[in-house]
Amino acid sequence: MAEEVKLMKGNEAIARAAIRCGADGYFGYPITPQSEIMETLMAEKPWETTGMVVLQAESEVAAINMVYGGAGCGKKVMTSSSSPGISLKLEGISYMAGAELPCLIVNVMRGGPGLGTIQPSQADYFQTVKGGGHGDYRLIALAPSSVQEMADFVSLGFDLAFKYNNPAIILADGIVGQMMEKVTLPEQKRRRTEEEIVRECPWAAVGKPKNRKPNVITSLELDPAAMEENNLRFQRKYREIEENEVRYEEFRCDDAEYLVVAFGSSARICQKAVEVAREQGIKLGLLRPITLWPFPKKAIASYIGKVKGILSVELNAGQMVEDIRLAVECQVKVEHFGRLGGIVFTPDEVLQALKEKLF
Amino acid sequence: MKQEIIIAGFGGQGVLSMGKILAYSGLMEGKEVSWMPSYGPEQRGGTANVTVILSDDRISSPVLNEYDIAIILNQPSMDKFESKIKPGGILIYDGYGIHNPVQRTDIEVYRVDAMDAATEMQNEKAFNMLILGGLLKVAPMVKTENVLLGLKKSLPERHHHLIPMNEAAIVKGMEIIRKEK
Repeated sequence: MAEEVKLMKGNEAIARAAIRCGADGYFGYPITPQSEIMETLMAEKPWETTGMVVLQAESEVAAINMVYGGAGCGKKVMTSSSSPGISLKLEGISYMAGAELPCLIVNVMRGGPGLGTIQPSQADYFQTVKGGGHGDYRLIALAPSSVQEMADFVSLGFDLAFKYNNPAIILADGIVGQMMEKVTLPEQKRRRTEEEIVRECPWAAVGKPKNRKPNVITSLELDPAAMEENNLRFQRKYREIEENEVRYEEFRCDDAEYLVVAFGSSARICQKAVEVAREQGIKLGLLRPITLWPFPKKAIASYIGKVKGILSVELNAGQMVEDIRLAVECQVKVEHFGRLGGIVFTPDEVLQALKEKLF
Repeated sequence: MKQEIIIAGFGGQGVLSMGKILAYSGLMEGKEVSWMPSYGPEQRGGTANVTVILSDDRISSPVLNEYDIAIILNQPSMDKFESKIKPGGILIYDGYGIHNPVQRTDIEVYRVDAMDAATEMQNEKAFNMLILGGLLKVAPMVKTENVLLGLKKSLPERHHHLIPMNEAAIVKGMEIIRKEK
């Protein structure tokens, strides 16, 4: 039977989707604008149904290290926070990338820097796709632009994390976290059994049988030659992800003379700007990166010679615009438009900026 | 068909829950819906507002620069949103919270004295349902039976005994709304 369509906030959708996809554990610490994730999990009490653990840790640092521990045992575990809280988790995230552990992280961004505001922002793009923590590592970064995608990307994020033994992150913002839309939740999947984890995660610390060496989970390697080998292995994996996992969506791009590139909530606002532009006879299209890393470089480069200009529309001072410029190698004029600190642009402002900067 | 609506007033007036009931009612009719609140410190006594969109087609932006309908429940919200109603659009306001006359002449203006009616009903909590009734009278975007279904969906079960009171408030709101211009 088809699943009932429900109305809920993006944050609530993440929580419900986590239970539905058979997650083993959630570890978090409250912060606006994402507190409904843990609130919903606590209200749903999945430990009584699927056996999923939900735990409010004493801090963000504790929460990410609980995720490290759970992931090391091959469990499907996750955490969520908002910008300042993610900064606190970065050490743990770098360690997990270095130890090649799968997990899901959710960042519902707010205005920064510092404690900033609680209103929507996209100023953690650099933090997410350029490292954030130390070392040469990458996060598989998914940017939902609807409440349905908030639900869908939980299971997708876990799948990608386990496929590549790498942390995945959902990079959302206060708009998509707080707004309510229609959602169809995935069907309830059961959690994996211990036997399934032993079979599917041969690297996991699940008790050593006599016939194999101990599994060691660590990011520490004191021999630089061995550490370089590790890094080269990570890089090969990252190239494979770049080859296979790029996701994006195009809206009215076929005959576009101008292109806006925007992710998450900004893409929704830009979609409206495209509709208004088309009514005015302006041939505007929208390209929405769904994966921020791997970035849809080739898709953007395919507009070289086709469009007169590209506007990167972000709720920040200009971050993704750098990746767009790299993608088109300065062969197309690329400008940025943003609002800062929790102020959200309207569709009209986007269109106005397009005219001022590119016409 | 698409209705882009802003509901704005003081925190505590039931602005967000009124929007929620409207969104659930749209859901009951199989429409596309979005509900985007101003969240955060505004809710503690300052201004609170919510953008609700009901549409037959997929909704692009949940954030808007102009609205088909503005429901305005205090003066600061009037100052902020009066200019953002589309020409030919609808403004509904509660007389109790508004001190300055409406300036716009290119929109339909309706007044619903919901605060007075709620006091008369001896039920302050009926306030937002009185307003909702007024809205549905002048812009019948959803059927009343679907609003009642929406109420049922959005209220926790322990509050379901309040549904008849809410229904009475909606009917009363439909009766007391008056066109000003």
